[in-house]
Amino acid sequence: MNLQADSNRQLIQQRLNFFYVPIIAVTVILAVRLWQLQILNGAEYALLAEKNRIRTIQVVAPRGTITDRNGTPLVENRPSFNILLYRESVANIEATSAFVTSKIGVSPEELSSILSRGKATPLYHPIVIKEDVGIDDISVVEAHKQEHPELQLGPEPRRLYRYGALGAHVVGYVSEVSADELAKGAFPGARVGSLVGKFGVERTYNERLTGDDGSRVVLVDSLGREVGLLEEVDSTIGDDLRLTLDLELQTTAEDLLAGKVGAIVAMDPRNGEILALASSPSFDPNSFSTRISLEAWNQLVSDPNRPLQNRAIQNAYPPGSVFKLIMAEAGLDEGLVDESTRVFCRGSAFFYNRVFHCAVKQGHGSVDLENAIARSCNIFFYELGRRLGISRIAEHAQALGLGERTGIDLPSERSGVMPSPEWKQRVRGAKWYVGETISVSIGQGAVTTTPIQIVRAVGCIASGGRLTTPHVLLRAEGAADESRSRPERSVAIEAETMNRIRAGMWQSVNNWGTGRGAAIPGLDICGKTGTVQIISAERKKELNRNLPALEDHSWFVGFAARDNPEIAVVVFVEHGGKGGIAAAPLAKEIFRVHFARKQSPVLITRAAPAKSGDRP
Amino acid sequence: MKVNQRLMLSFDWIWFLALLALAGAGLLAIGSTTLGTGLSSYLGRQALYLCIALVAYLVLLYFDYHLYSDYISLIYLSGVALLALVLVAGRTVHNNKSWIGLGGMAFQPSELVKLVVIVALAKYFSESDREDLELRELIIGGVIAFLPMILVILQGDLGTAITFVPIYAALSIMGGLRRKHIVVFVLAGAIAIPAGWMMLKDYQKSRIQTVFDPSNDPRHVGYQTIQSKIAVGSGRFLGKGFGQGSQGQLGFLPARHTDFVFAAWAEERGFAGSAAVLGLFILVALRLLKGAREAKDKVGAMICAGVLTLFWFHITINIGMGLGLLPIAGIPLPFVSAGGSSLVSSFAAMGICMNIKMRRYVN
Repeated sequence: MNLQADSNRQLIQQRLNFFYVPIIAVTVILAVRLWQLQILNGAEYALLAEKNRIRTIQVVAPRGTITDRNGTPLVENRPSFNILLYRESVANIEATSAFVTSKIGVSPEELSSILSRGKATPLYHPIVIKEDVGIDDISVVEAHKQEHPELQLGPEPRRLYRYGALGAHVVGYVSEVSADELAKGAFPGARVGSLVGKFGVERTYNERLTGDDGSRVVLVDSLGREVGLLEEVDSTIGDDLRLTLDLELQTTAEDLLAGKVGAIVAMDPRNGEILALASSPSFDPNSFSTRISLEAWNQLVSDPNRPLQNRAIQNAYPPGSVFKLIMAEAGLDEGLVDESTRVFCRGSAFFYNRVFHCAVKQGHGSVDLENAIARSCNIFFYELGRRLGISRIAEHAQALGLGERTGIDLPSERSGVMPSPEWKQRVRGAKWYVGETISVSIGQGAVTTTPIQIVRAVGCIASGGRLTTPHVLLRAEGAADESRSRPERSVAIEAETMNRIRAGMWQSVNNWGTGRGAAIPGLDICGKTGTVQIISAERKKELNRNLPALEDHSWFVGFAARDNPEIAVVVFVEHGGKGGIAAAPLAKEIFRVHFARKQSPVLITRAAPAKSGDRP
Repeated sequence: MKVNQRLMLSFDWIWFLALLALAGAGLLAIGSTTLGTGLSSYLGRQALYLCIALVAYLVLLYFDYHLYSDYISLIYLSGVALLALVLVAGRTVHNNKSWIGLGGMAFQPSELVKLVVIVALAKYFSESDREDLELRELIIGGVIAFLPMILVILQGDLGTAITFVPIYAALSIMGGLRRKHIVVFVLAGAIAIPAGWMMLKDYQKSRIQTVFDPSNDPRHVGYQTIQSKIAVGSGRFLGKGFGQGSQGQLGFLPARHTDFVFAAWAEERGFAGSAAVLGLFILVALRLLKGAREAKDKVGAMICAGVLTLFWFHITINIGMGLGLLPIAGIPLPFVSAGGSSLVSSFAAMGICMNIKMRRYVN
């Protein structure tokens, strides 16, 4: 069986030469490719392999807790679980969607909006499919771990506002950082999906409350299942903060405002510590601690009473008659009134060819400063305003902190307006009319103040000239009090001036003045009411309708005890009616609660009337 | 006995050791990627298959290869019958009904039929005493090659089926192609390729498309290609070491002990290891070519050429796939991939070729 011919053998050899072509070509191609993948791009692929196998899971640090001044917890954290989607591990998006919509109860629309929002974040970053899930959802996800390793439970500490709406305007709330805030860098360290303080103390002290997130670096397999732990960094809780709020007073204040629209602030005039700050209506910050639903949000922002507004610091109202205290300080300090100054009130008077009315139609008769404060005589203060002129009024009001932010450690404070000719020229481009000065003298017209400004200014008068910075943070737990480091302005108020105003305020409450609704037997409360007309009495009569929106705003500001002021209170009720009726009794209740728990009778001594002739 | 002693002297030890080295690399790669997983039984089974394969190798070495070529028509018909039987009574694994139960083990007859077709075509073409093949012979040869191919296609195993094409082409070249027949071949190919594309199933089409744009849909089709490239590339020069390849160990690499075994090897052994395996393959290819050159007769030369074609085609497709150059096809890497059918038929093929080489001087 030899090969038949040499020629045939040669042909075979020639044809076998063809085989070198694929052998050499394939060898070269594969070798070059191996070189390219392993040597040239090896480092890059090594990195990709690392990224494949390693997953860094952020462990969100709990925020610091918040307590009242006595250490009663107001805000704590509770554990919660979110369902996270690891998009890298999705094998079949249809199967995942079907599972999520049918078993976890996320609607298809919701899911697609979550997914499209998630497109902005890197793929390895898990996205939250459903938050704060209950035991049912947890079981579903756990039970389907094998089929759906892309869905995992992510623990997240969540805010628990122990008292719900109580103190909501002070403690504030947290919610998910917006894309806009991230872009502006409003919250350093925040990432997409981070919960950050948006309001109140949560906002002001966000950075201190925020802890340091930890992380877990885990080994995952191709299905995204954890197969090992490489590294773990524990999270650190943020600072625990102790507020100046007194839970009992705060509760009292909020109860008093229930069903009303308004604000109550109680402050220690000696150092500016806010003991209670209530704004009504309120809201439950717990509803924000899960990324609040659109519906709930719309309801909150469309509520005509704007529950998210902190009326104590964010709304400026005409101060009405409480402004007379500032007028009195200005008049006394400028030497334009003294104890002998008397004005005869007939119920109305002409100033600059215009008739101005007193609240009491038949008039107060002959009144001095103390009487004028106690009975809230307009005519006296019209006359004083005329003598002072707008510039001096503005000067003294500003010295007492009106027209400027108090600097309270809460966000979005408003400054109100203390008008002056310059202000009018600048803002309205018009000349100041002297008649306006007369209106301003009784806190009407262009002057507007926030309740916090009023309590601060009166606190300054009560404490002998200390214009403090109101604040709600007492200290971080374990650290020194921070009250002392707050800026404080000293206003030169002579003792005599102070005594006169105090005496007037004392009479207002204790001597059948307009503030008598705040009187507590045995306690020297000083106060001043205010009633802000929305429209004139005549016009109201013409309309002959008792629309709530036309009802007067009610003010009361006061402090106690007279000779040793330790608490100053402002009450403001929108459309509450007469200040003496709608506001003064609320303040009384605050004083009562505050002093009722004081065991020391020294503070409740009833001092002798400051002036002879006053009825006891 | 004397003949046997003379035969032993011409046994090519380097060639044989190269095969053992490749099988050893396979065992190492399989062991590394499956130990401690649910696939751990693969290593022991592969060792058992290697023993069976070596027995087959020695048995095929023992008898003169003319025994096989003389009885090839009978063997061929049995092979085709077996394929038909698989279609009727076979087992389905991953869309492919190409397995048959054999004493508790699954066996893929198509792997062995490839070898049968090589011998059959070599026998048929070598009987022609002209310098080149007539059209009639080409057509009959085509029937010999494509009858089993059609059966394999019907099983759904396109990767295996396609290997019949280069075998037929290579042995036709060896038999002698006329110029006009080359033109006909090219034209037939030009018609068959688009027609074949139409016949492909969607998953098969997307596998091919993904070669051109693997990042298009990472989780579905291109995912495997990307993960394979990451595995290979991340091995860098010296590899990550035994059991250290995260791509293979953590399951990012699909079919890491079978079709993608080269990538698993490259990840843990690096460029050095993959170049070594590639070098062994080249050595074996050159030995096959040498066997063909030195063969005593035409049928021996053609069998060696056919086995070389089959062997090299597998290497090209498998490694090309692992390196992201070619579409994903279920073609094992000879000697290395886990799987008994492939290992046994590869050793059997080498046994026949060694047989041919050893008997070059024997009359």
